[in-house]
Amino acid sequence: MSKKIGVYVCECGPNIADKVDIKKILAEISSLSEPPERIIITKKHKLLCSNEGQDFLADEIKKNELTHLVIAACSPRDHDITFMNVCKRTNLNPYLYKLINIREHCAWIIPDKEEATEKAIQYIRAGINRVAYQAPLTEKELDSIPDVLVIGAGIAGIESSLSLASEKRKVYLLERTSSIGGKVTKFEKILPHQGTNLDIIREKIQAVQENENIKIFTETEVDKAVGFLGNFEITLKNIHNDDQKNEFKVGAIVVATGYNLFNPEKIPRYGYGKIEDVYTSMEIEESNSKTGKILLKSGKPPRTAALIHCVGREEKGYCSRVCCNYMFKIAQYLKEKRPDIKITEFYQDLCLPNKADQEFFVDTKNKEVDFIRFKDISIKQKDKEKFIEYTKTDGKKEKIPAEMIILAPAIEPAAGSEDIAELLNISLDEMGFFQEAHQKLNPVATSIDGVFIVGSAQNPKNIPDSIMDAQAVGGKILTQLIPGVKLVPEVTISEISDAFCTGCQTCLSVCSYGAIYFDEDRNISVVNEAICRGCGNCVASCPSGAAHAKHFTSPQIYQEVLEAIR
Amino acid sequence: MKEHKPKIICFLCKWCTSAGADLAGTSRLRYPPAILPIRVMCSSRIDPAFIIKAFLNGADGVFIGGCHPGDCHYQEGNYHTRRRFAILKKVFDALGLESKRLKLSWISASEGVKFARVSNEYTEKIKSFGENPTKSNVFL
Ligand SMILES: Cc1cc2nc3c(=O)[nH]c(=O)nc-3n(C[C@H](O)[C@H](O)[C@H](O)COP(=O)(O)OP(=O)(O)OC[C@H]3O[C@@H](n4cnc5c(N)ncnc54)[C@H](O)[C@@H]3O)c2cc1C
Ligand code: SF4
Ligand code: SF4
Ligand code: SF4
Ligand code: FES
Repeated sequence: MSKKIGVYVCECGPNIADKVDIKKILAEISSLSEPPERIIITKKHKLLCSNEGQDFLADEIKKNELTHLVIAACSPRDHDITFMNVCKRTNLNPYLYKLINIREHCAWIIPDKEEATEKAIQYIRAGINRVAYQAPLTEKELDSIPDVLVIGAGIAGIESSLSLASEKRKVYLLERTSSIGGKVTKFEKILPHQGTNLDIIREKIQAVQENENIKIFTETEVDKAVGFLGNFEITLKNIHNDDQKNEFKVGAIVVATGYNLFNPEKIPRYGYGKIEDVYTSMEIEESNSKTGKILLKSGKPPRTAALIHCVGREEKGYCSRVCCNYMFKIAQYLKEKRPDIKITEFYQDLCLPNKADQEFFVDTKNKEVDFIRFKDISIKQKDKEKFIEYTKTDGKKEKIPAEMIILAPAIEPAAGSEDIAELLNISLDEMGFFQEAHQKLNPVATSIDGVFIVGSAQNPKNIPDSIMDAQAVGGKILTQLIPGVKLVPEVTISEISDAFCTGCQTCLSVCSYGAIYFDEDRNISVVNEAICRGCGNCVASCPSGAAHAKHFTSPQIYQEVLEAIR
Repeated sequence: MKEHKPKIICFLCKWCTSAGADLAGTSRLRYPPAILPIRVMCSSRIDPAFIIKAFLNGADGVFIGGCHPGDCHYQEGNYHTRRRFAILKKVFDALGLESKRLKLSWISASEGVKFARVSNEYTEKIKSFGENPTKSNVFL
């Protein structure tokens, strides 16, 4: 069939017009016409992205019955979508169009007009060659379910549920223990500013419980989760009774499994589990919130206490971020109960990342809490007396007695994180926390579309940071899964030809999204269209030429390359 | 003698280097017209065969630009690119092609200056090597 390719050069006001010789471009490009197989129509316009410019293009496409369209203008980042929409308007398949960026790649970087013009011509020629090999692609629409599964009912999971649930969106909130709220329900008060009690948290817990659009499952875990953004099939199981199962579908999954505390028994020098009155921070929080008291085993309030930060930090290889602050909180609890208590906090580094932290630290220090920076530390018992033996940063060894010892163990990923990662096909980082899609740019998403992470499941976090995550994920899901709106999955994805695939599975091993599965019966690999993102990695890896990247096929790229260097 | 005008194919990944090249443009930086951009979704789409074909057809150099390690839009694509690139260099040597004409560089969306600098330096280097000898050598 003969091709009728329209090539439109945009002046972009003076941006392009002043820097390249558009007349010359039009003349040279027109001369590439090879009727009847390849007819090239060329024209210029002042501002193609303007409404008037778009109408002009639409008109040209229709009037000339173009089969392909090349636009020489600005960056695809600016107007690819604009021009694709013009194509759609005129029933020209948008994948039969190509935008050539003669502005950033020619006009703006080459001061010599002649050279800029020459490069523009070369570049447009390459584009024309490519477009001739492009194929129409159709966008598919998939039904999507707006409902969401939230795994873990700590503060991060609760806030996620609250920000998502609505009349049109059900939230399934899952918790493996018998009650919701997570760690925060074990605290007496919430830092900073000693004095905030748990009421604000209790209000949130109550709000989830009363919300008709949130269905809570306790003592329940995920049994199965298969699918993709907009359509995950979920099976839950009761932890006491394998047969008690629940099945439903959701469009997205939020992982809010929180953290565990490192077990200090693993480091014998802290004496935890062996020496009396050595506690973890969480034990102190729990006892204080349940009984309102912090007492020694003997039933007496302590006269001296040593608070030891960073327990397990070196072993874990990261700072847990929240401990310094809550250790000030614990010091203040002790001071409130017994103002004459002598408290020493042993730290390695102070982590004060939030805006109120410095003030909270100074306030704690002013309450006559001593702070000692140590290099090595161990807890010793001699007769009934307990001592903290430590080396200071200057190398001096010292020791002080303490009746009560409170440890701040490192924050670790929740037990069972590996299982969740495997079920959902997402990754854990070297520390065992859930791996975000991008540490800097996309910290609440994962490598799987539709699966998100919030709170300390991703990284040790305090309550405000966990809430921030939850609200961010709320925003993401609300914009991605709009009730009643269908999903349009990526069209420029890969496909594998049955005939050429030898079943070597090289492609499986390079795909970061698990988008390829191996069909045992047919002994070939198959791309899951709903998951593939179209990076093309599998295509470059396939030794048999069986994998193809739609819109980035090898012939398309070859044609572009060959014409560019001709 | 006429000055040799090199032709350099420059593969740009959509998410980082292509955006970096745009920034070089919007910042009105200067780099030679020799650089001919070809946009792909990810540097990992680049089949070594593209590069060999480009050389056999007269490219004087091939330059691949991708996101910095750890920043690939598709997670680990650029690690695969790096591995394939290392192997390709060996293949080039084995075939008697000049592997010194190949370049891989990580350039982010905010590194317009780096894009221009690398393009300038690389073009100078390619110029100093002269024309790609392979295009006149029929050897395959
Ligand atoms: C002693 C101590 C004091 C602290 N004090 C403060 C403070 O004053 N202020 C502050 O901002 N931060 C404080 N923190 C930090 C605070 O605890 C965290 O920021 C917060 O708990 C994080 O909430 P989360 O929802 O991410 O995790 P979590 O509270 O750990 O909740 C996770 C929930 O998920 C459930 N779960 C886990 N895995 C699964 C699974 N596979 N299936 C189903 N359910 C699962 C768990 O049972 C749990 O209920 C303190 C931490 C400690 C250790
Ligand atoms: S389409 Fe692009 S090149 Fe043309 S005026 Fe708009 S911004 Fe400028
Ligand atoms: S790499 Fe190619 S041949 Fe091997 S399984 Fe994948 S598609 Fe098939
Ligand atoms: S194109 Fe990328 S995402 Fe799609 S199957 Fe291939 S490697 Fe996976
Ligand atoms: S997207 Fe830039 S290298 Fe993969």
